[in-house]
Amino acid sequence: MPVGARVDDLPVLLAEYDEAFKAIGQPYEIIVVLDGEGQRWLEPLRSACANGLRLRVIELARRFGEAAALAAGFDAARGDVIVTLPAYYQVEPGEIAKLVAELGDGNDMLIAVRWPRVGGAFDRLRRGTFHRLFFATSGMRYRDLGCGVRVLKRPIVEEITLYGDQHRFLPALAARRGFRVREIELAQSRHDFFRGRYRLRDYLHGFLDVLTAFFLVRFTKKPLRFFGTIGFVAASLGGLYTAVLLVQRVFFSVPLADRPALLLGSLLIVLGVQTFALGLIGELIIFTHASSMKEYAVRSVIEGGTTGEANATEPSDEGPKSARTPNALRDVAGSS
Amino acid sequence: MSSIDVSIVVPLYNEAESVALLHRRITDALHGSGLEYEILFVDDGSRDETLSLATNLAKEDPRLRVVEFRANYGQTPAMAAGIDLARGKIIATMDGDLQNDPSDIPRMLAEMDAETDMVVGWRKNRQDKLITRKIPSWIANRLIGKVTGVPIRDNGCSLKLYRANMIKRVPLYSEMHRFIPAMASITGARVKEVPVTHHARQFGKSKYGLSRTYKVLLDLLAIKTIIGFAQRPLLWFGLLAAPLLIAAPIFIVVSIVPLLVSDKEAILPLAGTGVLFGTLGLFLILCGAIGELVYTTGSVDLSEYSRLLAADRTPAESRRYDASVHGRV
Repeated sequence: MPVGARVDDLPVLLAEYDEAFKAIGQPYEIIVVLDGEGQRWLEPLRSACANGLRLRVIELARRFGEAAALAAGFDAARGDVIVTLPAYYQVEPGEIAKLVAELGDGNDMLIAVRWPRVGGAFDRLRRGTFHRLFFATSGMRYRDLGCGVRVLKRPIVEEITLYGDQHRFLPALAARRGFRVREIELAQSRHDFFRGRYRLRDYLHGFLDVLTAFFLVRFTKKPLRFFGTIGFVAASLGGLYTAVLLVQRVFFSVPLADRPALLLGSLLIVLGVQTFALGLIGELIIFTHASSMKEYAVRSVIEGGTTGEANATEPSDEGPKSARTPNALRDVAGSS
Repeated sequence: MSSIDVSIVVPLYNEAESVALLHRRITDALHGSGLEYEILFVDDGSRDETLSLATNLAKEDPRLRVVEFRANYGQTPAMAAGIDLARGKIIATMDGDLQNDPSDIPRMLAEMDAETDMVVGWRKNRQDKLITRKIPSWIANRLIGKVTGVPIRDNGCSLKLYRANMIKRVPLYSEMHRFIPAMASITGARVKEVPVTHHARQFGKSKYGLSRTYKVLLDLLAIKTIIGFAQRPLLWFGLLAAPLLIAAPIFIVVSIVPLLVSDKEAILPLAGTGVLFGTLGLFLILCGAIGELVYTTGSVDLSEYSRLLAADRTPAESRRYDASVHGRV
């Protein structure tokens, strides 16, 4: 649970979640990551622990943001299944059991969709716009990326590095790496309402988030295809226009040097070449870092000759010789 | 050093009909050769029975390893995964659609002598449609050969053999498999081309069409420039910027002349163009500087490859398959 600016009564909330996890009946741990303003909760949490609540609390040195707080929590987590929770009411704590139970073998990650959802028409419009934009840019359809309640398996957190504002796109990032991500409807908490107002800055952030998703999904693999196309179009437009001007100058004696049109033509060429050069730099980055940013993810390696043990339909089963990623890949990297 | 002579890497995507036959052909081709081999089937997120069929085959054959991808990533990543996981000294790649013939592999291995780091197949009698496949591919190969300076007649043939030390270090991503010879050549690898048999497609449909031409062209451009400039980005961009930086002051001076000679106004658009070109020149040089930074921080060290290759080529251990070779020291 990353604790940032927006916090409901933390000890009470934690106690409720604790009850919910106890009800599941599996061994669990609760890790609270105090980020920035969340640090004022250190004392209340201490006294809550003194009253019998069992917690691990990580205090970040300064404000790093929710994604970094989550990453710190993931690093400390010891479980095979990790649940992320917001530090405020979003879903009914009792619903957590359902979330964990539904994960099963067939999924790698579940994200909660608060449903049925309270909120006015304007709220719905705002959320709908965000998710539609996200779908248009990334091609992935989600209904509630703002919900911080997710359950995921350990390989996901080992493979994906979160930074900036990427926590919201964790499902998209995981799905892109080939993990099976599904949405699940959970009852929204009675206490889930945002007291503040959305400022212009929040909208801008939302928009930039969508842009980030767009770049992450669409162009990180082949920067030159993306930049190159834009650059090529701009440069050829500029080239054509300049050629027209030159033809007019040579054959029709229209003076060239003092025509402002010349500026437009050369500006387009310049823009095109610059975009193209940026694409090349991007390509160079991919080229020189390709070995560390693998494009593929192996679910399992089935070694030959293991009669009956390597099960094809349940590849997540750890057969004696069916090595699971990322360990399998690390071994290889170490030996080569 | 591993005891496996050759690893055969086969990316599979929806090849349920072919997989068993493919496995038998590879086994038949290599069984009598006395070579230690392993087969790597890389299942690229197939939606059909490919994976379970391959897994069943692996139960019987200890030399078969099946790599299961989490999702469909494409042919190059599949090859890259197979290459990463392969344990042989030589790595052979081939298509999973039975159009390549595994019986060519021992012959190609014989060509892998001390002077060679890579043997590529050349589909001399290609069994594909003329208009949609052969002609575009002929043009593409001429173009790729010209641009990259590695004159190979058939870049699209997947049947290729590489020295493991070399290929494991070549960055393979996106749709680079078409350009592996070119990529390998920057490491100083020496390439040999061998005619191979090519069968008509028996099952399924080709997964590629004409639409990729544009992508291939852009990729080609990327490869070309990377080969040209990966090690010296500043120099490369500097050469690009030089004519601009020369033209810019000339434009500006010419535009000011009327102001100095007579009392006319300076030619503003021309001066503006000069300034623009100057800016672009500066921008390109800065790009070169960034490029240098990227290259130094990256994990690719091209000069390291040639050292490794040189060490690998010296025939220290006996290699059964190159008995006929006059050793190079």
